Amino acid sequence: MTTQALLQVLASGLLMGLLYALIAVGLSLIFGLMDVVNFAHGDFLMVAMYAAFGLWFFTGLDPLLAAPLVTGLLFVLGALAYLGVVRFAMRARSNAGMVQIFATFGLAITIQGLAQFLFTPDYRSIGQSWLGERTINLGGLFLPLPQVYGGVVSVLTFAALYLLMSRTDFGKALEATREDQGAVALVGIDRNRVFALGWGLGAALVGLAGAVLAIFYYVHPQVGGPFSTIAYVVVALGGFGSIFGALVAGVIVGLIEALATTILPPALKSIGIYSLYLAVVFLRPRGLFGRL
Amino acid sequence: MNRRELLLGGAAALSLAAAPRARAQAAEVPVGLIYPMSGANAQIAADARAAYETAAEVINTAMDLDLPMARSVGIPSLGGARLKLIFADHQADPQKGRSEAERLITQDKVCAIVGAYHSSVATTASVTCERYGVPFIAADSSSPSLHRRKLSYFFRPAAHDEMFSEAMFDFMDAQRKKGVKIETIALFHEDTIFGTDSAATQTKLAQERGYRIAADIKYRANSPSLTAEVQQLKSADADVLMPSSYTTDAILLVKTMAELGYRPRNIIAQAAGFSERALYDAVGDRLGGVITRSSFSIDLAAKRPAVARVNEIYRAKANRDLNDNTAREVMALLVLADAINRAKSTDGAKLREALAATDIPGEQTIMPWSRIRFGADGQNTSADPVLVQYVGGKWVTIFPEAAAIAAPVWPMNG
Amino acid sequence: MAIAKALPLATVPSPFLARRRRQLLLAVPVFALLALLPLLVRDVYLQNVLVLTLMYAALSQSWNILGGYCGQISLGHALYFGIGAYTTSVLFVNFGILPWGGMLAGGVLAVLVALLLGYPCFKLRGHYFSIATIVIAEIGLLLVHNWDYVGAAMGIQWPFGPDSWATLQFARDKVPYFHLALGLFAITWLVTWVIEGSRWGFWWRAVKDDTEAAQSLGVEVFRSKMAAAAVSAFFTAVGGAFYAAFVSYIDPESVMSFRFSLLFALPAVLGGIGTLWGPAVGAAVLIPLTEITRSYLGGNGSGLDLVIYGVLIMLVALARPEGLLSLLPRPRAAGEGGR
Repeated sequence: MTTQALLQVLASGLLMGLLYALIAVGLSLIFGLMDVVNFAHGDFLMVAMYAAFGLWFFTGLDPLLAAPLVTGLLFVLGALAYLGVVRFAMRARSNAGMVQIFATFGLAITIQGLAQFLFTPDYRSIGQSWLGERTINLGGLFLPLPQVYGGVVSVLTFAALYLLMSRTDFGKALEATREDQGAVALVGIDRNRVFALGWGLGAALVGLAGAVLAIFYYVHPQVGGPFSTIAYVVVALGGFGSIFGALVAGVIVGLIEALATTILPPALKSIGIYSLYLAVVFLRPRGLFGRL
Repeated sequence: MNRRELLLGGAAALSLAAAPRARAQAAEVPVGLIYPMSGANAQIAADARAAYETAAEVINTAMDLDLPMARSVGIPSLGGARLKLIFADHQADPQKGRSEAERLITQDKVCAIVGAYHSSVATTASVTCERYGVPFIAADSSSPSLHRRKLSYFFRPAAHDEMFSEAMFDFMDAQRKKGVKIETIALFHEDTIFGTDSAATQTKLAQERGYRIAADIKYRANSPSLTAEVQQLKSADADVLMPSSYTTDAILLVKTMAELGYRPRNIIAQAAGFSERALYDAVGDRLGGVITRSSFSIDLAAKRPAVARVNEIYRAKANRDLNDNTAREVMALLVLADAINRAKSTDGAKLREALAATDIPGEQTIMPWSRIRFGADGQNTSADPVLVQYVGGKWVTIFPEAAAIAAPVWPMNG
Repeated sequence: MAIAKALPLATVPSPFLARRRRQLLLAVPVFALLALLPLLVRDVYLQNVLVLTLMYAALSQSWNILGGYCGQISLGHALYFGIGAYTTSVLFVNFGILPWGGMLAGGVLAVLVALLLGYPCFKLRGHYFSIATIVIAEIGLLLVHNWDYVGAAMGIQWPFGPDSWATLQFARDKVPYFHLALGLFAITWLVTWVIEGSRWGFWWRAVKDDTEAAQSLGVEVFRSKMAAAAVSAFFTAVGGAFYAAFVSYIDPESVMSFRFSLLFALPAVLGGIGTLWGPAVGAAVLIPLTEITRSYLGGNGSGLDLVIYGVLIMLVALARPEGLLSLLPRPRAAGEGGR
């Protein structure tokens, strides 16, 4: 493999990794807040992609401009998922974690069924976008603009998220609630409200990722599957609940996935990611940046 | 695809769900169809459904077409009995395919089962049919392993993957004879039965006929990213790229090639995704000149007038043209209806006899085949595939020469 | 309960043992009645649903040993299922070894793999452990998918033969499979029952409830987890062997996909995790629901069957977060005995 080809693989891996980080961070946020693994995360991504597609299809709105709308829509979906489903699952006195997995699994199937019912199972993709299929050619190194845009959005989002968590009252309430759910009630924080907002925020983040992804990826009711597996690995690798960890782990996963194809047969490239995860947690059982 | 179609699709789904079950008619012949009605390939099943309904319409109503069972109403030898289609969802799971086949046979008393898209499901469902003495017709499952199991109730009117790959290499040989330089090929295939079978045959043929394999890339189906894989294709820069991919990966492949500035000189595809409309809706502008093998070609209408009419009926239902898969599906049901008529019975053993004695001349099909006659293994050996090329937004038959409408554009970008 | 009342109370040494004896005495008529079920249900399709239900009850019971009693939530049991299915198929098809032998061999192999993997994995806690199990099972799936000796994507087709208990092949008859699955479930139930009353059972529950406290009380935490994993893996592999014989064709996706890992855990959660009857009750609700919504609503491809299925799962989970067994009027679920 030539140096140029290697550089290309690294650049593509980096861009994809930033996107993986953006897809995963919502999952990590929700987990950090309330110890719930959302099994419908990939399906939130799918809904977001359909929303971006639908807005483009019916109104011609460019997915770049649709991103805020999609993000807002997913915020509502996330909050409703908490208020309508997860809140009740948390009442379980024992094994609340498994009950939540079960309930969100039911939610995932429902969302997939609804998508197939409403949109038919056909493969859709957005025909035109400002960025669609444009590529920068840096002396033979090709950087597709949609992915570059995704990378930039991802980095900016992580910066904004950092500010949100450290500088605002909302962030502090989230932080306090995750530290001690009982104590926050004493200082007048409504736990349910914080959780609903947390779920909204988590879903909004994956909504943003979906709006970016829809520019260059196809949409169908099962599209979330492969991404959600990667998202779980990214979150666990970075350390459950760590936002910075999700960013670092996302990039690492993107790079390893791309590099693995130069050593392993491409059909086995995921083994590279999985082995990396195992190697890290066997040495460091709380992931890269997680708290125990 | 346009906005209206999307809305119509949604409305159709609604009305479908709300419609009460059609009242049972006095004389009906139930036929079971097993397809992945949900899951990643559900669209294939939705199209298949429209194809079978098209074929049922041809059979059940009188149409002046030179096709089996078209001119009569229903099955004449059974007093004009109509075919009743019963669909079942196998979700791409061999176990579910088997149990659905069993349910259709024992509960719905179907006289035959047609399916199943996934070769893995066809494997189990056809064995179940064998055990119950009910014919299984592989309409669109093309793994060559299927007809090698010596099942006596298994029939496949269409070609299998080895025949398809052979046609592709025959075409390249013909190009070479004309003085075109083809030295290297690159295989790009998914890790399923379909992909690995296809690549294994192509590897063998390439070695026999002296083509160098510059890259052989097996990838995981439905990958989130194919960048590194495409990078390898680009480095190999073969004379012909030969993908065996379903729609999702085909879309991603074409987009990724564009992003990485890779323009293959020629693509000869193993159909699947490359004959699906969704791919051309998404990235058709980048696919000018792509060649795919096919069981079917829409421009065949020039030689076989029935094609245009059948396509019209299908279009009204599915909003797209017949393609490689859906044409095979239509034909499979017509073959079955023809056999039921000759068997004068829906009894499994008699129907098997009739199917085994099938002899339909190519002119009475919507396919480029020379005839339909099954070997002892249930495979139709006269199901000659064609190669079609996507030129100016239309499919043109380019090979074999007997069926060709135009000369190939080579290299693909002119 | 009638049976409990019929017991001569004088012979019961303690309330705990009395309850254990009651459980056993209740199980005997339950299994006996279940064995007669095919006499009532003659329809082949419904018999097929019953076989699957019992199979998942057994598999979920096996999962429950590690996940429910020992509290180690594995979402990668498809690996052991696949090991059982593939070992049996390879031994039978390539070497002519009867599936009974393959079942045992697959079980032993699964135990070895479980111990090998348990060594590093049991250092992990909570979700890190669960994700590790998912990832390991996926690696297994990918390797099998690309391993030509075991048929790679093509899978393994069992040869056709006459109906026989030796080869576990029955062309049309589902009743033998029903009894086999029932036997498998009965054995996993009995093993669970024995464990509940044994030292291991107490240790596992201690590990689950509070690992640190258990450790300080002298429970050998690591050995406990390894033992639970071994038992759980063994029976999961036996279930995989059964499935291979039942379907007589396997391919990587159809025995090793993540879907299966989830399907082993869900009935236990649905019925009552860490309880004797929870997995069976959960399977009895979940599996018929899955099969029947697909068969009778899935044919039109509208996706509505999935909506109904998904909503029902949510409703069950939300209405009874403790599991369906908590509907029973008993103050405490069976598995909580001995605390």
